[in-house]
This record gives sequence, structure tokens and C-alpha cells, in this order.
Amino acid sequence: MRIQEAMSVYDKLNILTDAAKYDVACTSSGVSRKNDGTGVGNCKLSGICHSFSADGRCISLLKILFTNECIYDCKYCINRRSNDVVRTAFTPDEICTLMMEFYRRNYIEGLFLSSGVLKSPDYTMELIYATLYKLRNEHNFQGYIHVKAIPGASQELISRVGFLTDRMSVNLELPTAESLKLLAPHKTRKNILSPMRLVQKRMAQNKQELVVYRNAPQFVPAGQSTQMIVGATPETDYQIMQVAESLYQKFELKRVFYSAFVHVNEDSSLPARTDDGPPLLREHRLYQADWLLRYYHFQADELLSEENPNFNVLFDPKCNWALKHLEEFPVEVNRADYKKLLRVPGIGYKSAGRIVRARQLGKLDFADLKKIGVVLKRALYFITCSGRMMYPTKLEEDYIMRNLLDAGEKLPQEVVNMGYRQLSLFDDVRFDTDKVMRVK
Amino acid sequence: MKTVYVCSDSVTGIFSAVYDAWKAQKAEEKCGIVLQGFMEQQLFCDYVEVEETEAKTVAVERMIRKHMGLLAYHDIYQAALSADVEKGDAILGTMLAAKGLKDSTKIMEHLSHPKVEKVFELSRRVGNESHFFVEFIRFRELESGILYAPISPKCHVLTCIAPHFADRFPLENWMIHDKTHRSFAVHETRKKWVLVQEAYGEAKRQEYEEKFKKMSEKETEYEALFKSFCKTIAIKERENPVCQRGHLPLWYRPDMVEFS
Repeated sequence: MRIQEAMSVYDKLNILTDAAKYDVACTSSGVSRKNDGTGVGNCKLSGICHSFSADGRCISLLKILFTNECIYDCKYCINRRSNDVVRTAFTPDEICTLMMEFYRRNYIEGLFLSSGVLKSPDYTMELIYATLYKLRNEHNFQGYIHVKAIPGASQELISRVGFLTDRMSVNLELPTAESLKLLAPHKTRKNILSPMRLVQKRMAQNKQELVVYRNAPQFVPAGQSTQMIVGATPETDYQIMQVAESLYQKFELKRVFYSAFVHVNEDSSLPARTDDGPPLLREHRLYQADWLLRYYHFQADELLSEENPNFNVLFDPKCNWALKHLEEFPVEVNRADYKKLLRVPGIGYKSAGRIVRARQLGKLDFADLKKIGVVLKRALYFITCSGRMMYPTKLEEDYIMRNLLDAGEKLPQEVVNMGYRQLSLFDDVRFDTDKVMRVK
Repeated sequence: MKTVYVCSDSVTGIFSAVYDAWKAQKAEEKCGIVLQGFMEQQLFCDYVEVEETEAKTVAVERMIRKHMGLLAYHDIYQAALSADVEKGDAILGTMLAAKGLKDSTKIMEHLSHPKVEKVFELSRRVGNESHFFVEFIRFRELESGILYAPISPKCHVLTCIAPHFADRFPLENWMIHDKTHRSFAVHETRKKWVLVQEAYGEAKRQEYEEKFKKMSEKETEYEALFKSFCKTIAIKERENPVCQRGHLPLWYRPDMVEFS
């Protein structure tokens, strides 16, 4: 395969966007930086999404691959070397012009640059470095940049790129080492985790440097993230959550992203193609649980267990936890501490904060809670205001479950469409036929 | 007898009305503020036209900042920009409620007070809308090289979004045109941005429209590139227009290139 010389930027953009669209992380948050008055761009701590595509995912960064040429043969990837697709590559200058012109029209918040592996990991990483260097120094771009570290690239190169980018991520690809071996034979767990560790160490070191000298260059100031594919291999939700938890604790990641497996290739080691589409509900539940880990002081062990390794289809993980731990409820809104409030279904961390502050100035009632932002139709079974419940209710699992479902709790599309299979849990994991046999 | 202060729909108007009401030292139920054009005459009310001055506005601003703190000022200012008819009343009520608190800086936490809650809600609405516009504004390059962005917001968001772009593009000449409230935020290279309020008529509006249609050569090319980018980035198997509408409501779309 050769790179076609005569291809226009329009065509290249189409091909390399199409190839990059399965990468999930499109966040632009985590770093706050003002413009110094001589260049273009700044960064907002909260992040800014600029548009939403037809699949409802946000478009905040110019998400492209540097090239879709690749020497690897990962089974799930559209750009694997054994696929016959049109190959092309940007030049650093093309990316810079495209970036700057899009950015000044407020189309995008920054650049998300990933790449197939061209020739060798080091060679590819060097091209990425060249692009970022031009963008930061020649075009004086001060906005957000997210770069994928190529597994196997040298430490030296990764540290150099780290000083030009805001966020770096290495894709974990699959939750376990065995799955990785099966589906991405050229990647190893060690190759993926070692750059992650390097970035973590370098960030810690950089913090020290910044204490000594405030203007020292910053290393990956928005932290690192990773992503894994869900539904291509037979891991349970419990395993996935444990992996995510250990990544947060041991590698201090900012985010773990989950990407529902989309069939793009035919391969015997991939799950059989079905009409169900990607496992979106499962992905959604994983994200909900991920939030519980990061903002709600939950542990993976509290949400799932060996005996109960997958999430409930009908209820979100927090609601499910509450239904299984009714001994902790009802919670008195006017007295309970912040952490207790966080565990109530229908109370988010923002509402919990507002409740804690507002109750110092006056007793709160259900009407006040509604205005504060509490979702009462879910919370009412679990809270009391000054000793009273909103309606007389029973604190029984079945009763609450029935009422929550009756109250027009919006059910996910997958559940509505399930029909006769209503009671099965996530049979899209794999080994579809096996499960059906066992149920019989 | 209740005294009702009548003012125009602007920060200056509302703050001047607050100034007059505050001076009169009346209890909360004895005074109110209504906006010109949205008056519903009631019995046993004294309607007083407010004389709107810069000095009154500055005095009220200083008072809020000093006694209620910056965060409360931020909320009150944003509430004054909202598109709600009762915003004046809510702001006055909040300030009077703050007077009754031991620590007035805690006023915005007093969400069980109806007026405070109203200001909180209005401020959040304006804050959200301006955040959306920071996201969804699309500049186009005019022949002259100026970046021009038309918007049709519900609230007066210009003063909330212009500082963001002034920081982001210090070297560009840009202009944001609020078509609903007929005002502009204009920024010249390396200078501070200014707010231009011009109550232009229909003829002038058409003239502007013609003027802002003339774009630079490169403009159509980049618009086409971005349109195709937005189309390609979507994953077909995951299509979900309801989710898209939830994040990006339809009424923002007419001024956005990728939906035109």
C-alpha cells in the first residue's frame, strides 16, 4: 500500500476522521490556562463541547489520526494491516492549518491526535511530536491538545511530547491481558502500562518542579486517561470495574473511558455478529458506575460481586445498591452527613452540596428539595424531611422496585425491545448460544 | 400602600430601581420592581418611574459586592440579564432578605427563601445559556478578515460570553451580533472589547444582513470541511437524534454552520 500523493485535504480529513471516530475520549476539561496575549487559544477547566454529532456524542476536539497506515493487526480495528482500506497521512503543516482555521471559527476546542503505527512506534511518535511542536511554537497555539501515546515508543519521546500536550492517553484496549493477547497480538500489557507509569511518575516530578519554579513547563497538566472496549471479550462488568478502580488508584488516571464494541471487521476470534447493535446499555451502566467511583465514594466491591457480576438492566447502579441496602435508609435530609446524602438515589453531588449549605439557614422541606434539584420521584422512598416521608411508603425492596418502575422511570431502549427475553442479563457478552442452552 | 418602581429591561434600569427602593427603606411586601412594557396595574399601588443613572448603578453594585460578596453579585448580575419579567422583584427581594441575615454573604445558600431561589434559578438559566453560546457560536470570516458571529439568544448573554472570546482571540478582530436584543460585542486586535447597543430599524437590519453575507474566499472551503467532519465523526451503529437534541436543542441550530 502506498500513500497517495494527490489526495486533497478534504478527502484526507474524511478518511482520517472516519478512522478515528471509534476513539472515545473527546473531553477538553482538566486544565485552566489564560492566553498570554500573543497567540491564539485558552483552556477552560470545565471543558467546552462545540457540537454534537448524530450519535449524540460531543464534538469538542478535532479528532483525527495522523495516519491510518498501521503495522499492527488488532482484530477489532478498522485500520488493521490486513484490511483493504484507502490509506493516507496528513503532513504536520496540514494539521496545523486545519487546526488553526477551525479553532478561530470556534468550531472546536483543540486537537485530538492519534495515529496508526507507521513504520515503528518511535517513527510515528516523532511525527506527532513534530506536529505539536509546530502548533505550539510556530502558530503559538495555547488551546487544548490531547495526544495518544503509541505503545512501544521510547521514554524520551513520550516525555518530550508530554510537555507540549495537555492530556496524554494510552489505550488499554481490552480489560485483561488474555483478551489483549487474543485480539491484539502485537500489543502487550507491559507495553501499554509502562508508558502509563512513566507519565504518572513524570507528572509527580513535574509537580515538584512547579513548586520550586512557578513558570517551569507543565507536563501533561490535564492528566492521563485510557479507554477499553466493552463487549468484544467475555469479561464481566465486575472485572471491568475492578480494572477501572485499580487504574484510578494505582495509576492516578483522570478518566477511564468505555467503548461499546462496534463490529467493523469479520474475524473468527470476535463475537458473532448479531442484530442487536453495540452493547450501549452496558456501556451506559459502566459509565454510571464509573461516576459512582469518582464522585460518590463508592467502591467497585459494593456495586458488584463474584456472585452478581453484571449490572442490573432495569435500575442504575446506585438505585440498585440502595435497593439491596435498605437498612441504611431512610436518610434524614436535615441531619445526614454529606456522604450519606450522596448515596441516596435521586440526589447528585451538586444537590447534596446545596442541601448541606441550605439547611444551615433553615429547615428544608420536599418542595425546597425539588427546587434544589433533587429528583423526588426516585428519592422519595429513601428520605425523610424533619422526620416525615413525602407519602406513606413501605421500606421494602419489592414495593419500591414496583413503584419506581410504575412511576414512568424511563427504561432504556434495549429493555423495552427485549420482549420475551426480559429476564436475561447481558447476553450480548459472547457465547450467545451457550447461555440460551443453559437457561433451557 | 405598596410602591412599585418602573424601570427599563437592563442592568442599569434594574439597579437604579433597587437604589430607589433601598433608599425608601420599605419592608419587602411594601415595594416591588416591574419592567416597562410588562406592567399589570394593580390596586393600592403607587407606580413610580425610576430615573436611571450610572451613579445609582455603580452604588448598588458596590453595595452588593461589599456586603453580599462577589459570588452573590455574580448571581444577581446574571439574574438581571435573564428574560424573566419578575427578575427585578426577585433581585430586590433577595437583597432585602440578605439584610435580615447575620452573615449576608451566605445569602445565595438560603434556597428555602422564594426570592433567593428565583434569583438562583434565573442566574443558573443565564449561566447555562451563555455557556451554550460559548460552545455553539460559529464565527465566519468576512471579506475584510473580521470574524463575525450572529446569535439569537433569549437572555442578554453578550456580556457573559465576550470576555471568554477576548481572552481566547486577543489578536483577532471579531464581532458577535445579538440579533434578538440588537447589540454587538466588538473586539479589535490587542484592545479591550466593547458593547455596542444600537436600536436599529428594519432598513438598517437588512443593510446589516447584506453586509455580513459577504464572506472571504477561504470561508466556504472551511465550512465544507467542518460539515463533512461532523458527518463523518458520527458512528452509524449508535445513531441517536434524541440524545443529540438533548445536548444541542434545535433553537440553537439555525446559526450553526454544520446544521445549515
